[in-house]
Amino acid sequence: MKRPLILSIICVIGFLWVVITFPGVFSPSVKKLGVFMPAVYGLIVAATFISFIGVWHLKRWGMELYALSFFSKMLFFILTKSFEMTSYVGIVFSAWFMITYLFYYRKMDVNL
Amino acid sequence: MHLFFQLVKESILFASHSLLANKLRTFLSLLGITIGIFAIITVFTVTDSLEKNIRGSIESLGNNVVIVEKWPWAFGGDYPWWKYMLRPTARVSDLEAILQSSKTTEAAAFRVDTKKRVQYFDNMVENATISGVSADYNLVSNFEIEQGRYFTQLESDNGKNVAILGKVLQEGLFSPGENPLGKDVKMFGRKFTIIGIVKKQGESMMGNSMDNQVMIPLNFIRNILDVRAESNEPYIAVKAKAGVSNAQLKDELTGILRGERRLQPGTEDNFALNETSVLSKGFDGLFDVIGMVGWIIGGFSILVGGFGIANIMFVSVKERTNLIGIQKSLGAKNYFILLQFLSEAIFLSLIGGLLGLFIIWIITLFAGDAFGMEITLTLSNTVLGLTISFLIGIISGFVPAYSAAQLDPVEAIRQ
Repeated sequence: MKRPLILSIICVIGFLWVVITFPGVFSPSVKKLGVFMPAVYGLIVAATFISFIGVWHLKRWGMELYALSFFSKMLFFILTKSFEMTSYVGIVFSAWFMITYLFYYRKMDVNL
Repeated sequence: MHLFFQLVKESILFASHSLLANKLRTFLSLLGITIGIFAIITVFTVTDSLEKNIRGSIESLGNNVVIVEKWPWAFGGDYPWWKYMLRPTARVSDLEAILQSSKTTEAAAFRVDTKKRVQYFDNMVENATISGVSADYNLVSNFEIEQGRYFTQLESDNGKNVAILGKVLQEGLFSPGENPLGKDVKMFGRKFTIIGIVKKQGESMMGNSMDNQVMIPLNFIRNILDVRAESNEPYIAVKAKAGVSNAQLKDELTGILRGERRLQPGTEDNFALNETSVLSKGFDGLFDVIGMVGWIIGGFSILVGGFGIANIMFVSVKERTNLIGIQKSLGAKNYFILLQFLSEAIFLSLIGGLLGLFIIWIITLFAGDAFGMEITLTLSNTVLGLTISFLIGIISGFVPAYSAAQLDPVEAIRQ
């Protein structure tokens, strides 16, 4: 199956989003939350990045990993009380991504 | 599950063999991460150490202490300095009024400073800070007496010629092992008997370390020095009772001082009530800016390091394409190939990060003496450095590793 254009657009936005948010892993604000918080947040960002690679290759695990990383990120923001304006923008984008993924989920490959 | 771990172990072994087979390439590719981690963690280490030192100095002034003096510590854009110039300095009569009328004050003390020579026989220390302090100064300031004792009420009231030395002054005036208690030192051309030594506090970024200071009773120094002179920096430190906030204390002090200075209703205060929290807040902004600059510089270095690792991993996959084909044709699973290359990237990145952290650790061992303050590589920064290395390994290694895992064995063997 050829990758639909909308998924290509989402993946490109996603890659750029990860590049922008990755330095946030070691930002002073995350560092202030606790010793291991940059590690936890960093793993979530890395998982998001890997999920976009999965979606790019039309793999189901990509969508599943994206959903997992999204809910982990929400949990992280709630537990650390670090919701900001950009977090709400992120939620809107993520909701759009996941709804789009769901349309193509059945056509995606189940293998690694 | 056992098989999975066996495969993970085997893929890590494959990765380490490959790294050791190309030592120079491995070294050059991890250098980017080393420099990146070195840059970012160095900035964080230096700012954390600076912050710790400055905050320690501020806290030594006391958190629940209000300082009464002429000038306010907070400087705004429209700082009307000409108004403050005309204000009187803190006076001993202000202290007496506070002690007499305040109900929220636990202790209050007056302090005035000057710089003079301190001499013990042939040994002398030039420009030592001589502080004239009133009786309760030990209750409003954070210092510990290591040897001897603080002034008695009688010594303070009568202005006896007794002194308490800072540790650096003791080391400068007396030979090692010599007990300074009961010995006489000379200041202002008069003799003072040493009754106590203050425990070493170390260098202070705020310049308020007691190490290079001598304390003598205020009632003695009043006879020699003009304690109202601005050059002698007179101030009153007032400590709030337990459960009393600084705001409550300041309200009460304002009333008392306005009454003592006979200020008419509607006129402005002619004194400043300063808190250490003002200084802390001022430094918060500064440290945020330094942290942000370090974050940006380090972020770019790390990014470059990550591209280096990704590049070398693509080369590695290309080089070992036929090997991947053979492994897959012999039954190697996709995740085995993926893990093999991913662990190689993470391993490479972690070694780079560890090397960067090791260089910083070596530097911190020597930098402390050079900068005159303690610089330490903290656990939080070490964890951060390793986390960044690990994540860079995952992010930069995943795409090459995944492309290797997706190779068709027949096509791969042909190459």
